[in-house]
Amino acid sequence: MQNVLSILFCLSLFYLAVTSRVKAYVTVLRFQGILLTVLLVFPFIHHFSIFALILPATLFIVKVMVIPRYINKIILDLDIKRMIEPTIQQFTFLLLVIFSMVIIFVASNILSKSTNIETIPFASGFSAIVVGIFVIIFRKKLIVHVTGFLVLENGIFLFGTAVASELPMMIELGTLLDIFVVVFLMGIAINKISSTLSGFDVTALGRLKD
Amino acid sequence: MELIKVIQGIISILVILVLAPMFAGLINKLKAIFTGRIGAPVLQPYYDLKRLYKKETINAKSSSFISVISPAINLVSVVIAAAMLPIGFARPIISFEGDIILFAYVLGLARFFQILAAMDIGSSFEGMGAAREATFAVFAEPIFFFTIGSIAFISGLTSIYDIYHSIRLDNVSYLVFIIVCSISVFFLAITECSRMPVDDPNTHLELTMIHEVMILDNSGIDLFLYQYSSYIKLFIYSILETSFFYPFGVRSYSVGVIIFVVVIATLSIALAISETITSRFKMKNIPQYLLFATAIGILNLLIYTFTK
Repeated sequence: MQNVLSILFCLSLFYLAVTSRVKAYVTVLRFQGILLTVLLVFPFIHHFSIFALILPATLFIVKVMVIPRYINKIILDLDIKRMIEPTIQQFTFLLLVIFSMVIIFVASNILSKSTNIETIPFASGFSAIVVGIFVIIFRKKLIVHVTGFLVLENGIFLFGTAVASELPMMIELGTLLDIFVVVFLMGIAINKISSTLSGFDVTALGRLKD
Repeated sequence: MELIKVIQGIISILVILVLAPMFAGLINKLKAIFTGRIGAPVLQPYYDLKRLYKKETINAKSSSFISVISPAINLVSVVIAAAMLPIGFARPIISFEGDIILFAYVLGLARFFQILAAMDIGSSFEGMGAAREATFAVFAEPIFFFTIGSIAFISGLTSIYDIYHSIRLDNVSYLVFIIVCSISVFFLAITECSRMPVDDPNTHLELTMIHEVMILDNSGIDLFLYQYSSYIKLFIYSILETSFFYPFGVRSYSVGVIIFVVVIATLSIALAISETITSRFKMKNIPQYLLFATAIGILNLLIYTFTK
């Protein structure tokens, strides 16, 4: 089951690499949030407890409902155009993603022989981290950078489930709170930037002087 | 017993040859219904073929013998490829170790001669279509080898018939593997048969065309051969898709045939829906669309090999 969810997760990463709309990025974030929730709920089917459901429920609320809605609200409020404005061609970007994913999968397969990790979720999480970084590097819009950061976070989460079978719940909840706060801070920052500068490009920010 | 198998194989190829135009007609009819039109009758492709058969063939003055032999070679190669596909659980007429490579390259030969013929006519418009076809073929070929090839790699068999018989749904990850493979093949079918997001089969005189541009100067029996082989090609890729779904049934010929009919019907609906709700891509977006399908295949193979 974990493998199936990981396949879907990687497919969402590929979709992220080919799509050129900001709205699609938000949808992917939502989809990944649902996947992670299912991934967390799944082990508790056999030994059910209310306490164990706190983390998945919080995850669902934060990653599927609050953050995507907030990003959508920012897009609507600031009237951000729907194209993502990549700095390199989508085709090249997809090639990059494929190559890095192949390397990551082979590397984690080699790693899994010496250490006790599960290859597929580990590799998928790692790929999500790399794709998140790529999104931040190769896109111009600030709001897309925020989504790239969130994809990276999702990757770290998946990574964590692969490395440790039992998650320390308080730490995970703390991370979720962090992400939540960071996204709000980014939202406020983007709002402020938009009131000073007309564009939302990082190219405009590169020309800033004091 | 052997005789029955040969007869089943012959029936398979006959079914492909006879029903191929109807499949295209069915998709067009469904598409018309989904967009609120009455649409041409399901048998319309047969009428079109009959009309083309009666018409006179005219070749351009600048064209050479390539234009004369190309339509026939096209049809023959496509029919050979069709003879390698199993319908139901019947063994196809042509089936041997390694026929998966032959299958890919016989279709490649058909495409090669079509491209040559398009350039042979000497019209720049058709040369453009040929260039596009060649470009997109480069990206479409890996999809086939990464999906069908990965099933072959996992099962250790190299004949299409054996490969499809090796598909057994005993564990979940293999089931997901097969489902994702079938998605990849669906992408491939759309590309190879010039269906909607890649190419528009309905428009003849737009600059954005790929397949229809190449046959623009052909007429009469030549056009008949091209059209017929493109119908068969569409049917071939659909059969390739149906073959993924056989493991759901009991392994007997009659059940196989029923599954075949059901899956073909479902597939025609799926194709019609996908053509209704999507619009054609910009030319520059097509390579990335095809690379996406390849990426799915690569990912699939990676995940399946590393779970073992």
